[in-house]
Amino acid sequence: MHIPDGYLSPSTCAVLYAGAAPFWAVALRRLQRRLAGRFVPMLALVAAFSFVVMMFNLPLPGGTTGHATGVALATIVVGPAGSIVALSVALLIQALFFGDGGITAYGANCLNMAIVGSLVAWACYRIIAGRAPLTSRLRVVAAAVAGYLAINASALCAAVEFGIQPMLFRDALGTPLYAPYPLHIAVPAMMIGHLTFAGAAEAVLSAGVIAYLQRTNVGLLRDTAPGAVEDASLPAIDVLRPLWLALGALMVLTPLGLLAGGAAWGEWSARDLADPAARARIVAVSGSAPLPSGVPHGLAGLSTVWTAPLRGYAPPFLQSTALGYALSAMFGAGLVLLTVFAIRGMLLKARAR
Amino acid sequence: MSDSLFDVRGVTFSYDGVPALGGIDLSILRGERVALLGANGSGKSTFLRLLDGLDFAQSGTIDFDGRTLTPGQLDDSSFAHDFRRRVGLVFQNPDVQLFNATVFDELAFGPLQIGWSSDEIRTRIDAVMESLDIARLAARPPHRLSMGEKKRVAIASVLVIHPEVLLLDEPTAALDPRSQSEIINLLSGWSGGTRTAVTATHDLSIVEDIADRCVVFESGRVAAVGTPREIVQNEELLHRTGLLHAHRHRHESGVVHSHPHLHRHGDHHH
Amino acid sequence: MTAAVIHRGFVEKTLTSLLHALERASSSERLAEQRGLLQHVDARVKLLGCLALIVAAAVSRHLDTLTLLFAAIAILALVSRVPLHLLTRAWAIIFVFTAAIALPALFTTPGQSIATVAGIPVTLQGLRSAAFLVDRVESATTLGLVLISTTPWPQIIAALRSLRVPAAVVLIIGMTYRYIFVLLRSAEEMFIARRSRSIGRLEGAVRRRMATATAGVLLGKALALSDEVYLAMQARGFRGEVRTLEELRMRGRDWTAGALFTAAAIVAFWQGLR
Ligand SMILES: Nc1ncnc2c1ncn2[C@@H]1O[C@H](COP(=O)(O)OP(=O)(O)OP(=O)(O)O)[C@@H](O)[C@H]1O
Ligand SMILES: [Mg+2]
Repeated sequence: MHIPDGYLSPSTCAVLYAGAAPFWAVALRRLQRRLAGRFVPMLALVAAFSFVVMMFNLPLPGGTTGHATGVALATIVVGPAGSIVALSVALLIQALFFGDGGITAYGANCLNMAIVGSLVAWACYRIIAGRAPLTSRLRVVAAAVAGYLAINASALCAAVEFGIQPMLFRDALGTPLYAPYPLHIAVPAMMIGHLTFAGAAEAVLSAGVIAYLQRTNVGLLRDTAPGAVEDASLPAIDVLRPLWLALGALMVLTPLGLLAGGAAWGEWSARDLADPAARARIVAVSGSAPLPSGVPHGLAGLSTVWTAPLRGYAPPFLQSTALGYALSAMFGAGLVLLTVFAIRGMLLKARAR
Repeated sequence: MSDSLFDVRGVTFSYDGVPALGGIDLSILRGERVALLGANGSGKSTFLRLLDGLDFAQSGTIDFDGRTLTPGQLDDSSFAHDFRRRVGLVFQNPDVQLFNATVFDELAFGPLQIGWSSDEIRTRIDAVMESLDIARLAARPPHRLSMGEKKRVAIASVLVIHPEVLLLDEPTAALDPRSQSEIINLLSGWSGGTRTAVTATHDLSIVEDIADRCVVFESGRVAAVGTPREIVQNEELLHRTGLLHAHRHRHESGVVHSHPHLHRHGDHHH
Repeated sequence: MTAAVIHRGFVEKTLTSLLHALERASSSERLAEQRGLLQHVDARVKLLGCLALIVAAAVSRHLDTLTLLFAAIAILALVSRVPLHLLTRAWAIIFVFTAAIALPALFTTPGQSIATVAGIPVTLQGLRSAAFLVDRVESATTLGLVLISTTPWPQIIAALRSLRVPAAVVLIIGMTYRYIFVLLRSAEEMFIARRSRSIGRLEGAVRRRMATATAGVLLGKALALSDEVYLAMQARGFRGEVRTLEELRMRGRDWTAGALFTAAAIVAFWQGLR
């Protein structure tokens, strides 16, 4: 998924650099404040680890092998700020030294993999794992889902970046000047591989390593699991767990919704929550935490909130179904994150009082 | 002011509840060269880290030049600055000691942190590279150095700030005999007046060259203190502390016999 | 795929890519120390110059300009003693890879039909679009290759530093590069040990556990090493503030090279946007 030079227009690259910059600045400031000088060697070693682990050939179910980026792993061990910087450094060395990924596309690659990847992985991991004990199976599941969704979110971003090129940049004859495929080709082409192999590789790596660390080096999981229940025999009670899970499920369905085409995925996922078979799957995935009965009211309403306005108001060049989906999905993911953090923040404040 | 530079009293230290040092009492005098001897895991590296103010005693105290080393003391920037420029530690593992992209950057790191001027730094780096014969390595990244070169660069990276106290962790481990003797020469020249050196090693063959006094560690305690000659000749002590073991040799004549020896396995060629 | 091939799969393939990375790094390190035209030029000039040309290749809206630019870059590579076989290999790999990606565009891009293949019309726009993509990617990659083959890594680091990348970030980048080799070696050792211990066919789940356990060990090692390195940094007086030495000085020929790069980029921009 490393975008080489030449696939994206310089203006797209500039915009994506500009988009990445504030995340780098904030991440660095946070790290500096929280870790003082310690962040320097820590990020260097995590970056070096990511670089090396990207070369691992992971055996996947079904007999093939695949590569992973380790983004969820980095996020779970050093947190999202650390993971953003560490992965960006690993990507820089790949671009400058090994020719993987372009120099002009470096901002794009960082935004897709390091930034979106880390934030999605972080949200999934924290939401699903909640306050579960450090050695709980739930954390392994959370890591797998985090890895799977993170890599798919990254791929989706890349696909959208590719897909808008032929709409925006053509010469007088109508020749696409950069990546030649419009969204309705770029998005499925990119996502099919990631929803299957790359996603599986990422899930296998994240889950496998977290399970291994739980057995041998559980201290490494402590930093990003504040409030984890210490005694494994106590249930990890979190009132909002059902909501977290529902939001998580929405995110899982986001990329699927893109491929399903036609149906509004908000409705579909709400239907899914009402469908017993799908509910059973979600319950199984989430470590047997109970789901709320029926579909949460908020959810049913929420599911159309971000698809609706875009449809009506998008500028003409954005009036394609696929783009609508892609943007909806991205906004959707963003909104989910915002909501989660807002609720979490309010809860923490309430608890502090 | 007393003549002792480090005063160590009743120091204990444990890693996650597993004790590594169990009550160390020791004074290290100004200008003295001390060898810390001990088997693997006896606590030498841990002790050096404590002397260098990187970890702190969990009970007991370590005084450096009359000031007790505590986290608070080392947070004090004027003390830390002074301490770091007077005391240098060379880590056992060159992968830890050498963390910069090139040999030159490695040598510049210490002087930059203690705030020397660029010109001063360059002059000093040239001099140190000259004296350790590593000038041709200046632009090399550490992964393209041999083990012996790494060790030499590691020592240079500390000597460059001209410390008063040199703490060395296994400076000759994994070196061939020639590189080993070069390092020993370097250390045997390191003496006189106010220069102090504390060297951790389990290589008995070098202690007489590098130390005036030996401290033998055993499971985190001081088992014996004496001159290098006294220690090396005390076979019972060396056996007990795991520094010496009966070893079976096959000599050229084909005769197999056991005898104690003072060399590391890699050293002998029969 | 046969079972044997699948099994050879992950350990062998991973080992191959680890070794490949090590080799590639050291070969380009050696290359960068050779004497060619660009090897003598200040790293900052090369970095910015190559970047300007990559951007020039990226903005060009004319295939002829792009092709000329590519030719110029190829000449630059050759006079800087980037070995021809390295260049041709890179070109071939990129061509095959990019062409494979661009091929369907010949048919999917709407426009004026110029031929039919197996009954499907090929459009002029599709063909030109594929040519743009290949040309741009080849140009940019060649420039990247020129840059790393003529600039020792430490100089790239020094260049980043004097281009006002924050000192702490540059330190992290240099340190990452340093420890990539340490971790590559440990990973290699672990895989070799595992290969010799696992003769015969292993079940999928076992192989997966083996691969992820290796990654887990490596991660543990990396973090333990980072703690120790932090101590080593503190031991030498590091207190959170990164200080660096100004190292690079521009000489006459660097200014000349800079002027030439600028001129080339201006011509390329002007022709590319005409
Ligand atoms: N980072 C650490 N975490 C946990 N235990 C440690 C750590 N470092 C050392 N130990 C333990 O502390 C004890 C003393 O270790 P230390 O490294 O000081 O010994 P040493 O004398 O330097 O040994 P060697 O000759 O092998 O270098 C050992 O039992 C070791 O296992
Ligand atoms: Mg030791």
